Amino acid sequence: MSADPQKEVHVQVWDAPVRLFHWAIVILMLVSWLSADQGYMRVHLWSGLTLLALLIFRLVWGLIGSTTARFRDFLHPPRKVLAYLRGLAGANKALFAGHNPAGGLMVVGLIAVLLLQAVTGLFSNDGLRFHGPLALLVSEETSTGITGLHGMIFNVILVLVWLHVVAVGFYLFVKGDNLIFPMLTGKKKRAHVPEGWSIKLAHPLMALLVLMAAAGLVFWLTV
Amino acid sequence: MSDRPRSALLYFACVTLVTAAGIATAMTFRPAFRHQVLDVLGLADVPQAAPGSFYTARVAPLFETRCNGCHGDKMDRGQLRLDSFALLMRGGKHGAVIAPGRVDGSELFRRITLPESDEQAMPPSGKPPLTKDDIIVIRLWIAAGASGALPVHAIKNAPKPVVEIEIPQSDPVQVHRQRAPLADVVRQLQVRFPGMLEYVSRDSADLEMNASLSGGTFGHAQLREFLPLQDRILRADLSGTAITDGAAPVLAAMTRLEVLRLANTKVAAATMQALAPLKSLRSVTVTGSAVPPAAVVALRQRGIVVYGSDDVR
Repeated sequence: MSADPQKEVHVQVWDAPVRLFHWAIVILMLVSWLSADQGYMRVHLWSGLTLLALLIFRLVWGLIGSTTARFRDFLHPPRKVLAYLRGLAGANKALFAGHNPAGGLMVVGLIAVLLLQAVTGLFSNDGLRFHGPLALLVSEETSTGITGLHGMIFNVILVLVWLHVVAVGFYLFVKGDNLIFPMLTGKKKRAHVPEGWSIKLAHPLMALLVLMAAAGLVFWLTV
Repeated sequence: MSDRPRSALLYFACVTLVTAAGIATAMTFRPAFRHQVLDVLGLADVPQAAPGSFYTARVAPLFETRCNGCHGDKMDRGQLRLDSFALLMRGGKHGAVIAPGRVDGSELFRRITLPESDEQAMPPSGKPPLTKDDIIVIRLWIAAGASGALPVHAIKNAPKPVVEIEIPQSDPVQVHRQRAPLADVVRQLQVRFPGMLEYVSRDSADLEMNASLSGGTFGHAQLREFLPLQDRILRADLSGTAITDGAAPVLAAMTRLEVLRLANTKVAAATMQALAPLKSLRSVTVTGSAVPPAAVVALRQRGIVVYGSDDVR
């Protein structure tokens, strides 16, 4: 009896928590942007708090999660990142099951900037009837300054997201490597994964516990 | 040429086109973004208001005190800034807020005339509102064309500007520090002579003394006890006390005296002579005393007002 052909062709590279985190972040960023733009500040608040809880979860999951979720899997020294980027112009045959060195750098950058954005949001105010849950802990002048920073970081996020989308498009259209599909299904073509590689999955219940702890921490800090 | 570089070139050309189209779309539908891009490119139109214009003299100060906290350099709520003529005319996130010549078409005027309970009202509830006169000034300016060049006197029926006077706040710490060196002496004298010695105000270390209620029991010896405070006493009422010209050296030592009352005492010409060098002295009362009119001439020549029973000016 032959093996399942799907199993032969595809191999799991992303666990469910990482994928859910990724798409939840996409949705929450859009919600945060639109709600702030349209003045729905309560929605903006809850969207930001949820984002913060998810980012804390991702930091912990980067230490104890599945193989490709861990920082040590995708954080590489600058020399290796530069070598990888130089190789992109040629026929770079290096394979990575999870994030490649450039993608890993992008992930860390996005997490750092989003974290900064979420934290500055806690101390911000809109000059009208709304202020972040921790804004009263600082002077009005400081809160106003942080609000300006919150606005500026948003522009940095836009640039990073643009870069991220352009990079994903580059892999899809130029290198023939679809990165979107694996982030939806968790599976990648075996041909795009190093020979003999397999994921070591962390228990989903652990992810749930970490997420609840992160949410609890945010709730305790802000509500 | 290999397939990959060619397709990479095509891909990045497409990315450039899509990005340019996105920026163009954002510039079309987001006026604030359009202005930011034009600023970066150095292509923004920056109209200036003339120094003597109605805008500079009457409109800008209203925005400064009522609006710029949220619409200024520190915070640009709604991406609208009102801290310069150029930025005001540029408008905010949704475009222009001033329609020159059209009061009804100006979003800014609509917002400042909404009831305070309205969510869109400006300034928002809890912030100091614009007065009726402020709103009239803005209305007249927009109706006259919202120009930065219109002279300040061009709008004849504009309400007169209100001059705000700032009352300085007292600093309790500073006052305490000033009083500290003589605080013990003051306290002791206040115990010894109840109701006779007070600070001239709550934010001053200077003093005033009133011995008039003590009558004949208050003489030279008692007055000398106040000598440690000679540089702090601004007003002294010694009317009806037992002092004579023998008190003249003590009074002359109170170099900051401004008001001195010596009614119904036995002081005479020698005391008036002793007071002559006091630079701060403004008035002396000698009603019912033995001071002859000739003795106060020198004081009057210095502009000091002298009140006397036979010689009130």
